[in-house]
Amino acid sequence: MDASQIIFFLSAALILVSALFVVTARNLVHAALWLIATLFGVAVLYVLLEAGFLAVVQVVVYIGAIAILFIFAVMLTRRDLLSQSSQTNANWPVALGVSALSLAAIAFIARGFGFSLDRPLAPVPTDSLERLGQALVSPQQFVLPFEVASVLLVAALVGAVYVAMNKK
Amino acid sequence: MTITDFSVILPVTLLTAWASILLLAELFLPRAQRPFLALLAALGLALTLGISLAQSAQEFAPGFGGMVVRDGFSNFLNVLFLLTGLFGVALSYRYNQRAQIERGEYYPLLLFSVAGMMLMGQAADLIVVFLALELLSFPLYILSAFAYPRPQSEEAGLKYFLLGAFASGFVVYGIALTFGASGSTDLARIVASVAAGSANLPLLTAGAGLLLVGFGFKVAAVPFHMWTPDVYQGAPTSVTAFMAAGAKTAGFAALLRVFGAAFPALAADLSPLMAILAAVTMLFGNLIAVAQTDMKRMLAYSSIAQAGYLLMAFAPFEIEAARTMAVAGALFYLLAYTLASFGSWGVVIALEKDLDRHLSIGDFAGLARRSPWLAAAMTVFMLSLTGLPPTLGLVGKIYLFRAVIEGGMVWLAVIGALTSVVSAFYYLRIVVNMFMREGEPAVEREWWLEFAIGAAAVVTVVVSLWPFPLFEWAEWAVMKLF
Amino acid sequence: MLLEYAAIATMILVTALVAVIAVVLGSLFGPKRPHARKLLPYESGMTPIGPGTRRVPVRFYLIAVLFILFDIEIIFFLPWAIAFRELGWYGFWAMVVFNIPILIGFIYEWKKGGLEWE
Repeated sequence: MDASQIIFFLSAALILVSALFVVTARNLVHAALWLIATLFGVAVLYVLLEAGFLAVVQVVVYIGAIAILFIFAVMLTRRDLLSQSSQTNANWPVALGVSALSLAAIAFIARGFGFSLDRPLAPVPTDSLERLGQALVSPQQFVLPFEVASVLLVAALVGAVYVAMNKK
Repeated sequence: MTITDFSVILPVTLLTAWASILLLAELFLPRAQRPFLALLAALGLALTLGISLAQSAQEFAPGFGGMVVRDGFSNFLNVLFLLTGLFGVALSYRYNQRAQIERGEYYPLLLFSVAGMMLMGQAADLIVVFLALELLSFPLYILSAFAYPRPQSEEAGLKYFLLGAFASGFVVYGIALTFGASGSTDLARIVASVAAGSANLPLLTAGAGLLLVGFGFKVAAVPFHMWTPDVYQGAPTSVTAFMAAGAKTAGFAALLRVFGAAFPALAADLSPLMAILAAVTMLFGNLIAVAQTDMKRMLAYSSIAQAGYLLMAFAPFEIEAARTMAVAGALFYLLAYTLASFGSWGVVIALEKDLDRHLSIGDFAGLARRSPWLAAAMTVFMLSLTGLPPTLGLVGKIYLFRAVIEGGMVWLAVIGALTSVVSAFYYLRIVVNMFMREGEPAVEREWWLEFAIGAAAVVTVVVSLWPFPLFEWAEWAVMKLF
Repeated sequence: MLLEYAAIATMILVTALVAVIAVVLGSLFGPKRPHARKLLPYESGMTPIGPGTRRVPVRFYLIAVLFILFDIEIIFFLPWAIAFRELGWYGFWAMVVFNIPILIGFIYEWKKGGLEWE
């Protein structure tokens, strides 16, 4: 077992344990904080896969912004109302069944895909970030989705301002 | 980057730019000038429609390295989406003033949504499909919650947003699995990798299934329809009218493009599933609609049932000739549905005088005496949705049923015919109410609304008498798809 | 490869360590003479009424959402900036086009008062 495998198992354990706490924590702020731990574990996995940029996105966007939004959103609600209520509803056996079936389906498909521990990582070019930058604006590749993304951001921005600002 | 690239996305670009300018205009126009925004929005849509029609004679052209295409299919849909937008503006103009939701964001958001729909029709890459899906959905979430202090509208917006985001998650997951299976998000390359045998078929099937769930939500197919009645009922009626036609058509555009073009290898696996989905949607939508007394909820279930008829187009995928006819029939039926849906929602808007009280079926009593033309138009729309002559709905259903029978699925056509009989019960109940019961309905007289309703009714009847050029256009549109 | 991240790992470890040390040393060696008054949120001020947590204004939500949107914009800048020299003027204009809608959105938000705290 080499260093990267140890790091992998540590971060995988972190992800699983903290994800469990996210759904079981009674205090929603605690759940949001555990979510940050989960997201951080995923960022470590990206690093292990040598996807450095994704790790940065994970930290900057997910931990830096979305987790903050979650905490604010929790603080917008009446907390005492939530912490006493039951964490499950009558449908939980159904949900369990569906989840187990989905897991079985994923496992079935993954089995046929030929995952293995000793397959070497595909080589990552050293200038991968530079290539991403070029692909992003290259007319033969992603320039159109890139520009559409900005329109999408504006639509979301207008919506956020409209929902939060219009009190009249 | 070439001129072709720009010409392919010219309509979408123009509409997006127009929407952005409208957003700025809203900020700097004084409050009294607000009605101009509707006019400006309509002008932008009309301009884009002109360009789309001018381009419709041009040949197939890919753009941006295969991210988008312009072909007959996208041209047909572009025209349909722009008409949807124009109808949407016409229905909103006075209604929004009455409902006191005449806020400047309305029309820019509507235009953004139409731009997303058009992009969906042109998308040839799953990344663009996803972005288009989000671009058309975001504005709809906000528009559903547009009547802000009204709790029902807020609830509709929140429900639609949460379930829509969940469905988007399925789409992303499906795209990821498809990419993993075939090594590409480009539809043409996915087909090539399947043909070459290098794709992982179980993974691709799983990806296709997840995409089906996501798009099934957008078109409100059973069992992904739960949000529909509540959202259609709670959202402002002008928004519901736009959503019922536009979002459904866009969802079918995605289904037709992705499942028609990219997953032909899966057709054998998927066509029974699609047939079952269609049958369940038709049965469920029509049977529940019978029990409704609230007009908006009834039309919501009716739109679920209509999605079932449209899904029949995916059933006969194994036989080449039937497949082309089925998809052309679906495009034709989408046009018929758009007209009838907008028309009937328009009549609902005309009758909705008291906005806090839900319009019930009984409120249609006596409409024939009070406003004979409106009643006549409503009759046309109800006949069209049922599939009775002389309307486009009948012609569309004939095309669809014929394709399904030629595809060897007679049982599905039988279910379609039987559920149409069931649907006659609740559609014609409104006609009976209008003509045979006494009542004093309050009717709003609004020029643009009446014009839109009248145009939809006239086209529904007149084109149905000689539908062949329209069907030929639809057939030409799907030629290049496979 | 992983060694490139050694600096980040070291920093995370050191900051975590400093935090732990500060808390542990304080609780180990600090004098502890608890008193009901001392445990109040304001030791020598008003007696608090009601729960310590209140609902925050919806403003916070708006700020957080706007922050996410501009965060995503920044993330798009990063790979573009690294490849900027090779991309040249074409890349510059591509980014300008990307920014025009966002700029319009920004003007909208500003004019609507989304950036004011009243």
